[in-house]
Amino acid sequence: MTPEQDIGTRAAQEFLGAAALADRLSTGPNNEQYVLVEETEFENAVAHLAANKFVLIGLFCCEGFARNAAQTLFYVFERRTSILVLVRNTGGKATSIACIYPSASWFERECRDGFGVAFEGAFDTRRLFLHETYPEGFHPLKKSFKNASVVTRATVDPAEEYPFRPVSGEGVYQVPVGPVHAGIIEPGHFRFSVIGETIFNLECRMFYKHRGIEKLAEGKQPGDCLKIAEAVSGDESVANATAFCMAVEKISQTPVPERAWYLRTILLELERVCSHLGDQAGMLVDVAFPLGANQFSVLREECFREHDRLTGSRFLRGMVSPGGLSRDIAKPDLDELVAFVHRVRKGYKVGLKIVLSTASVIDRFATTGVIRPALLRPLNISGPSARASGGKVDVRLNHPYGIYGQFAPKPQRLRDGDVLSRFTVKASEIMDSLDLIERLIAEIPEGDISTTPVIKDGYTLVLVESARGQNLCWVWIKGGVIERYKVRTASFCNWLAIEHAVQGNIVPDFPVINKSLNLSYAGTDL
Amino acid sequence: MVNALTCLLKKKVTEETPVRDEEVEAIGRAIKTEIDAVFGRSLAIRELDTGSDNAAEIEINNLSNPLYDVERFGITFVASPRHADVLLVTGAVTHNMAIAAKKTYDAMPSPKFVVAVGDDACTGGIFAGTYAVLGGAEKIFPVDMKIPGNPPTPLQILAGLLALMKKARMQ
Repeated sequence: MTPEQDIGTRAAQEFLGAAALADRLSTGPNNEQYVLVEETEFENAVAHLAANKFVLIGLFCCEGFARNAAQTLFYVFERRTSILVLVRNTGGKATSIACIYPSASWFERECRDGFGVAFEGAFDTRRLFLHETYPEGFHPLKKSFKNASVVTRATVDPAEEYPFRPVSGEGVYQVPVGPVHAGIIEPGHFRFSVIGETIFNLECRMFYKHRGIEKLAEGKQPGDCLKIAEAVSGDESVANATAFCMAVEKISQTPVPERAWYLRTILLELERVCSHLGDQAGMLVDVAFPLGANQFSVLREECFREHDRLTGSRFLRGMVSPGGLSRDIAKPDLDELVAFVHRVRKGYKVGLKIVLSTASVIDRFATTGVIRPALLRPLNISGPSARASGGKVDVRLNHPYGIYGQFAPKPQRLRDGDVLSRFTVKASEIMDSLDLIERLIAEIPEGDISTTPVIKDGYTLVLVESARGQNLCWVWIKGGVIERYKVRTASFCNWLAIEHAVQGNIVPDFPVINKSLNLSYAGTDL
Repeated sequence: MVNALTCLLKKKVTEETPVRDEEVEAIGRAIKTEIDAVFGRSLAIRELDTGSDNAAEIEINNLSNPLYDVERFGITFVASPRHADVLLVTGAVTHNMAIAAKKTYDAMPSPKFVVAVGDDACTGGIFAGTYAVLGGAEKIFPVDMKIPGNPPTPLQILAGLLALMKKARMQ
């Protein structure tokens, strides 16, 4: 145990006492620590963790865990490099912690919809991913429900429609937007309360794309779940597939060959570059600067074509598999990738110079959509959005996985938290990822690219840094098949940031703020 | 101070397109011919995401980047279904999107065409038969053309649109 991991154990000792801790603490295959907490101790434990700056990064539920036939809740806390999971057995009822950890609100509503757990004292008890057309009392993640078509209502009475938080006052009017938007983007509903042109309040309603990813994985062989992991969010395919495979590998104690990790890391960084380029182009479109936008969208299309050349998929799909990779990338192809990286870097610098020397762009970006640093911890904001607001969060640095220990990315950190900071952080990350890819290719060892895993039963928690931030994945294998697959992408938490970031901004700046945060709807709605 | 005259008189510079993709050009020319014949020079497309993983949207967006730039072939992406000839549907139809999707289709003026883009929109894909989706796009409205793929590439989407135009001409 490293001294840093000790933070979690020490905290647990403080709220449980050393004697009680001994038989209740266990360490998972990925060095995450689980502590079983009794109902009477729970409130005190959460208060203690909150006082000690632990961040709630996940909260999920499962059934039939360790002799508890009913629901067990897992509260995942993070402090620096330590991950502490409070395991709380419930009989279908639990007290809410959303007043202490606001990020818990969506998590609790998710557990309620999925498993029917009632959270007492919660300030928001509306349904989350099951919209109005789903029948009452339907909880799809319960084991008693076998995954099959359900009958939903074809219409909804106006009286039964989702109640948005009422916002009223002199001159306040509502602007409803979505779920079908004007552009080619994913569906979601935004309810703006506006005074004049200024946004007074925003409430996001998501989960229009809820397609039952987690339930779909249950009962399947781990190898058959890759397509599901890749379908979590289109341009996070490598990150989510890597997280899932890492979990399977940790549980089954499968060593992944070094070459496979080099190639995986190259793919992860290519995915990051491609995603950031798309954001930056989008941000420039949203401030009506196509000259700048096209610099990046051309580079991005070239990235897609390079992905296709290397892997046969423009989204790098079908490469990462449990135990390593499904196929190798030969040396001549990697050499060509080096030449490609050179070209992208050169083209990118040209584009960046055009953008950053255009006053009208800077004028729109600067001081727009500010995320205050005080929001980072309560909402668990991660990724470039957090790093642009002074956050020191990057899974690759805080919980290095694969070979990120040897190939650490440069820590990025700006403090203004506005659109310009997010643009600039992403620019630095693109340059850094390109450097990283070059270093990886220069040092890549020869050898195998895969070990066939012998699937064992068990469970573990894995974190990876996708282009959007911290993705969490918890896999429980029972009887050789997936018993529970919990995914929480960075966007799930980051969505709550936008409600704060837009306040005081004008409605026409919403698109650029939204794009600068690059939130995935599919990855949130699951 | 820049003399306004020099701006007018100096040599104009237009950059060469970075890559000229003959395949795109050929398909684009064919589409343009068909659009000119059937739709009077412009085809208005409304994109509708009923539950995709966003990869198909990314590819549809890519059709507008300078390497494809499909607007020059007469294809426009419009902001409202009321202006659209074609509904480009991506993703399996989720229960949560079903009502909004139907409203979008109903808002389109006739004659109208529906194109399913990607495996999930064509058949429901990996989600077919599960609790959260109704299935492919044809569960809620008639589908005229299916473009399979996970996701289909921009070229495949263009080929699908060309096939639709040819089919429309036959009708």
